Amino acid sequence: MSTRKLLTDFFVLMALTTNVSFVVNPNGIELFITVVTNLAATLLKVGEGRILSAELMATGLVADLHLIPALYFYYTGDPAESVSLAWGALAANVVSVLLVVIDTVLKSSVEEE
Amino acid sequence: MRGQRGRRRIRLRERYERRFYEILRELSVPLVILHFTLAVGTLGYMLLSGGDFINSFYMTVITIGTIGFGEVVRGSDTTAGRIFTTFLALGGIGVFTSTITVIARVLFKEELQHLWRRLSMMNAIDKLEGHYILAGFDEVTAELARLLERRGIPFVVLDDSREGLARIAELRLPYYLPEAPFEQETLLAAGIRRAEGLVVNLGDDARNISIIAVARLLRPDKEGFAIYSFASSPENAARLEELGANRAFYPGRMVAGRLAAYLFHPESDYLVALFDRLAFGEETDVDLMEVAVEEGSPWAGRTVGELRAELGANVVALRRPDGRLELDVTDRHVVKPGSRVLLFGRTARLEKLRARLEDAHEHA
Repeated sequence: MSTRKLLTDFFVLMALTTNVSFVVNPNGIELFITVVTNLAATLLKVGEGRILSAELMATGLVADLHLIPALYFYYTGDPAESVSLAWGALAANVVSVLLVVIDTVLKSSVEEE
Repeated sequence: MRGQRGRRRIRLRERYERRFYEILRELSVPLVILHFTLAVGTLGYMLLSGGDFINSFYMTVITIGTIGFGEVVRGSDTTAGRIFTTFLALGGIGVFTSTITVIARVLFKEELQHLWRRLSMMNAIDKLEGHYILAGFDEVTAELARLLERRGIPFVVLDDSREGLARIAELRLPYYLPEAPFEQETLLAAGIRRAEGLVVNLGDDARNISIIAVARLLRPDKEGFAIYSFASSPENAARLEELGANRAFYPGRMVAGRLAAYLFHPESDYLVALFDRLAFGEETDVDLMEVAVEEGSPWAGRTVGELRAELGANVVALRRPDGRLELDVTDRHVVKPGSRVLLFGRTARLEKLRARLEDAHEHA
């Protein structure tokens, strides 16, 4: 088991769960934690030798580019816009989690060969 | 399917990109630590101020960045706020400075800059077409590169030896790959599939043979892709030609031949030098050119006199369809289809004539 993979997968999943909780019940601290976990997941993906690393990086960046403006809008008095951006990030985070699962399955089949 | 992918050869570009990201990977852990320091600081001030994100983030940055403009966020001037700021500064300043050091060290790494340059060069090589590949870069190939450059013919140099790389750096060549030239991946990266030809000069015949074999596997057509090789002896030159080179040269014989031309014609020194420069591509203003006159060509069936008047270039000789060279061409000679016309004139005009004739053949 790779510690780095564990950490990355943890943050990818955590980004999704905090994203869901913000969308369901908008709260500033929740949004902040979502941004922090998303950015951590993206930074940990840099140079990671995964099969789908480019796709994972791209989805992570998409989520970041939705959530950072969402944070700005939330604290500048437009929470509705912030929630709609967070929905966009949620879609990207769902894809990220799916990609992590696919990547893990692919990697294990390669190792078996 | 995945198994096939696992076994496939890794392309040179992919190898460079992997290494590039591997180096960048060194940045991720320090950046994650800095990221969490910023996050903890911002979150702490947000809790102290009751959710003021913008000022909390600003306060964190000025604290760990050792700017310290003051206590700009609500709640930071309380006892709890000051205890928090103290611990944030103690931990954060170290994290901030060490992260900046790591970023500077990684970004200024020579290898990263080399990889970036090679990747950009490979992008440029991908756009080349009809170029030459020079495998091995010694004094002779460097001279050849100079001649190609003067003619505006693009070329890619392949050499991984220390001397070769030093020479490449000295000449500031636009396209080169510092990789083993006989590797299939190197030849593919040099654009062998779109190239016009390959010049092999790796210093010994065994290495020359290996690259000729690999190149011929990738481009088997001798007409469409020419391989010119150097050989260590006239016998080996013949062998290299048998193995796939269009022509193999023994440099000693070539130099001796050029020298002998001067010795045999001492009274025609200027003419020998001119033909010498024409033959070896050193004369760029005037040139000799051989043009095929095919069936249906606008030149076929015309007299030499008509061609001379129309083309503005001198028809100096004709090669008949049976291969016989006709040197005493008068204006009345008729150019039969299948012959080749030897023209002498200004390079620019000859190039235009060739383009015109090719165009006429295409539309014939």
